[in-house]
Amino acid sequence: MNSVINSAENARNAFLGIDVGSISTKAVIIDENRSVLAQEYIWTEGNPIGAVRKLLGLLEKQFDREAWQIVGVGATGSARRLVGSIVGATVVKNEITAHAVGTTSFHPEVRTILEIGGQDSKIILVENGIAVDYAMNTLCAAGTGAFLSSQARRLGIEVEEMGYYALQSAHPTMIAARCTVFAESDLVHKIQMGHPREDIIAGVCRAVASNYINNVGKGKKICSPVVFQGGVSKNVGVVRAFEDLLSCPVIVDENGHLMGAMGAAILAKRSLKRTVFDFSVQNMDFVTRERNCGGCSNNCEVICVYRNGDLIDFWGNRCERGAAIR
Amino acid sequence: MKQQRKVALPRYGEYNCALKYIVEQGFETRCILPPPLSRRSEDLGARNSPDLVCTPFKTTLGSMIEALESGADTIIMVPGACRLNYFGELQEQILRDLGYTFDFINLSMYNTGKVKDILRALKVINPRRSMVKAGRALYEAVQMVEHLDDITSLYYQNCGFDPSGSYPKIYKRFLSDMYAAQSLSDIRDGYARASHAFADVELKKPGDPIRIGIIGEYYTVMDPFSNLWLEQKLADMGVEVHRLMNVTNDMFRGGGKNMQTKIRDFSEYSMGANSTADLWQAQNFAERGFDGLVQVKSACCMPETDIMPVLANLSRDYKIPVLYLTYDSQTSDVGLMTRLEAFFDMLEMRKKVAR
Repeated sequence: MNSVINSAENARNAFLGIDVGSISTKAVIIDENRSVLAQEYIWTEGNPIGAVRKLLGLLEKQFDREAWQIVGVGATGSARRLVGSIVGATVVKNEITAHAVGTTSFHPEVRTILEIGGQDSKIILVENGIAVDYAMNTLCAAGTGAFLSSQARRLGIEVEEMGYYALQSAHPTMIAARCTVFAESDLVHKIQMGHPREDIIAGVCRAVASNYINNVGKGKKICSPVVFQGGVSKNVGVVRAFEDLLSCPVIVDENGHLMGAMGAAILAKRSLKRTVFDFSVQNMDFVTRERNCGGCSNNCEVICVYRNGDLIDFWGNRCERGAAIR
Repeated sequence: MKQQRKVALPRYGEYNCALKYIVEQGFETRCILPPPLSRRSEDLGARNSPDLVCTPFKTTLGSMIEALESGADTIIMVPGACRLNYFGELQEQILRDLGYTFDFINLSMYNTGKVKDILRALKVINPRRSMVKAGRALYEAVQMVEHLDDITSLYYQNCGFDPSGSYPKIYKRFLSDMYAAQSLSDIRDGYARASHAFADVELKKPGDPIRIGIIGEYYTVMDPFSNLWLEQKLADMGVEVHRLMNVTNDMFRGGGKNMQTKIRDFSEYSMGANSTADLWQAQNFAERGFDGLVQVKSACCMPETDIMPVLANLSRDYKIPVLYLTYDSQTSDVGLMTRLEAFFDMLEMRKKVAR
């Protein structure tokens, strides 16, 4: 521990951004000039705490702790609150803002950001480098990454290969795009009719893109340049489908999957809060427990987070009564 | 002599205080307040409702069941401008099938717009009571509703800028005053006390705060439980929250005459229910330079779904972002918080650039 503190004296400032989504967990470390010092991308596998610990271990290996010192941590993604309290984040931000900030700092000219993740999809409209409108899917997760994964499994291929197959198709199969459940029965029907696999996969990619334009993008004016990101942007079949539907080029950044984490790190840099971050949290034991308050008929579910057996954070209570149960 | 009735209206925001006043002061009969809406009310309602009916049906049905459990023997259901007008009939049937014994006053059947017909419907509560006295209580209850809407809109416009934390206390006190009121002077005193107390609080409000206008479907937009305390959540972020859609504006003052004409640039025909009022309010907020609009609706609400493309045009012409929220019987507000926070961040950044 001594060496860490000593080295910290002449170390330069760095910022960590963590984006914990439903499917994947991403993190970057950047310096004051937004250059990437370390980055990592792993599957969440339904275990955000485990994923973050593993991620920190991987980052630590890439990172020169003598030369740099992490002084701000930003957390985003659907598990931001939990992860934020585990790593002691200085900034906890929703993923829409984080993505807008991350993408506009790398593509200042961007006008439209399309984003399709594992469970959600959103569109962000940008004017002069700031977000001016956004929309996010509500109630329904049709046409997101989870749908693509399950269809890949049905067709017996890896989800990563889908784009490759889709590009080989000359006559994409028409697949109903409105609803995942209908799309799936449509798809099974087309398989049983003997459509070639490439055509079906290309049809699925097309369905995802047109579902997105018709639902999330409804009524929004999509201007070029368009940046497409989120896990699904790695699927070239969907990228091609978007280019056809929008009749304009669609930019996919090779670091597109890191934009949320990047945004979180930039927000941590912008905020004035500074706390030295220590990689030792990866060796600590974190447990969350859900407790029903029962103080009134609301029965709030209070989430309690324990570090090595001590309560460090809790939320979910609507009134003070919930704070008492711990 | 027949035993006195115990009358209840399903929970609807805080408007139950007005019905309590009419029943107790106007008809000298007991009024039962169902328990505040909770996850239990929603579960009870959802379990006994058709699956694809809108959430207000489920919530009010659940509240009716809870009212019957609390000892009510007479249930009142309000009329509406959409299919809500038929809800009472179906809910009565469902409750009878569940085996409850009660009298049902379905105001839809008397929905002529005339006070005397409403009084005729309510007369069964206590037929021996003079209609003049009942009518007077009805008018006093209307004043109570006007005061309630006044104080509520003041509350949400300012509570986000109150460092002392006394706003919620004043509002709570005002609500309990209204529930306890026994005369017009009680109503007026409670109102005066709350307005003075609000005026005495020193607010820390910037000269140009973020202002958001809330529009949407009648029940969900007015009932904090149903919209997961949307207005409070926005106010807590430091937003001036405005909502024109309330009972006062809709029934007593009217959102202005000729609303359809005023919005003819966007929509020539009414799309049912309060769609015209919604669009007029949206346009009104936009013209007054608001920073953003939030549309609140329950899933499967057709009039509100129909106005979404019109709102998109309005959003484009006035350059005002609109956040569309759809509610179903959800209990978790994590997704809502994500969207609200992002909306707030966006409005804040837009404002910074505009300055």
